[in-house]
Amino acid sequence: MFSERERERYKRQMMLFGDEGQERLKKAHIFVAGAGGLGSPVSLYLAVAGVGTITIVDMDVVDQTNLNRQILHFDRDIGRKKTTSAKEKLQEINPDITVNAIDVKIDEINAADLVGQADGIVDAMDNYPTRYLLNEVAIAKEIPFFHGGIHGFYGQATTIIPGTTPCLKCIFPKAPPKEVFPVVGVTPGIIGTVQANEVLKYLLGIGELLTGRLFIWDGMQAHAEEICVERNPACEACGGIAKKTTARKKK
Amino acid sequence: MSVKIRFFARFRELFGADVMTDVVAGTMFTSLITMIAKKNPEGYAAIFDETGAFHEFVILMKNGKRIEIADAAKTPVVDGDEIAVFPPVAGG
Repeated sequence: MFSERERERYKRQMMLFGDEGQERLKKAHIFVAGAGGLGSPVSLYLAVAGVGTITIVDMDVVDQTNLNRQILHFDRDIGRKKTTSAKEKLQEINPDITVNAIDVKIDEINAADLVGQADGIVDAMDNYPTRYLLNEVAIAKEIPFFHGGIHGFYGQATTIIPGTTPCLKCIFPKAPPKEVFPVVGVTPGIIGTVQANEVLKYLLGIGELLTGRLFIWDGMQAHAEEICVERNPACEACGGIAKKTTARKKK
Repeated sequence: MSVKIRFFARFRELFGADVMTDVVAGTMFTSLITMIAKKNPEGYAAIFDETGAFHEFVILMKNGKRIEIADAAKTPVVDGDEIAVFPPVAGG
């Protein structure tokens, strides 16, 4: 059930997917790994859409160099924990949702517990080792993994449904070297919004997901394209799991 | 015969988006990329290591199908092939 305030807040999107769709969003729990460049737009759009529970995890404090892109954090937040800043903004933008902000480094020991009973994992990380770890958690829990990555004006995104689509290891078997990557804020803005859009469609069970396709954005050319990606039967992460026939959240 | 090589992300900054090139029949995938990359030392270093092998993270595709790095040296290119070369994009 929705309060009057919620009905007013979501009125314009309930024109698209009705009470039932909004109820689905309200009951959903999404895990956002990272409160940085991608995590900012992803969590903000999931919050305003009314995703009922958002867990956001980050281990860093806000630095001045973050502020060109990490729009959850303001100048006044420099030196504060990103999780504290994120929870404050997300609750302010939508007081009708629950926000769990956890200040911890995601590692092999805690990853599965942190994700808990979430309905999906959003990849808003800045490194491949942690992405691979979350990819494995998504496979083990049979929940989707919404991948995004950025560099400069370039970005990529894909939606991984374990057992149906290629996993992150199928697509990118080896991690690139870690680097201080150049970036302008609009790039995570675009890719993060694509990821949030995927989460909403998945939860609502509508539209066509970005499955089996790697979306590639070139901001310099204002050109988007996609590359078909396939499962690797010998994949060390998902090679052993059987193909599934459904790629939708169960009603 | 002519093939098209498409670069993405950082590789695009180094080589441009698309390179059309004429190749002789029987040219292998690795030789072709090596030939193109050698025209740009910084670009070459981004794609290949000091032994001349592809960096292990580089993704290679031919007409939308993945080519494993291990198979690239023995995979011939043919007229009209579209080849994609890209790095995983890591920032977040």
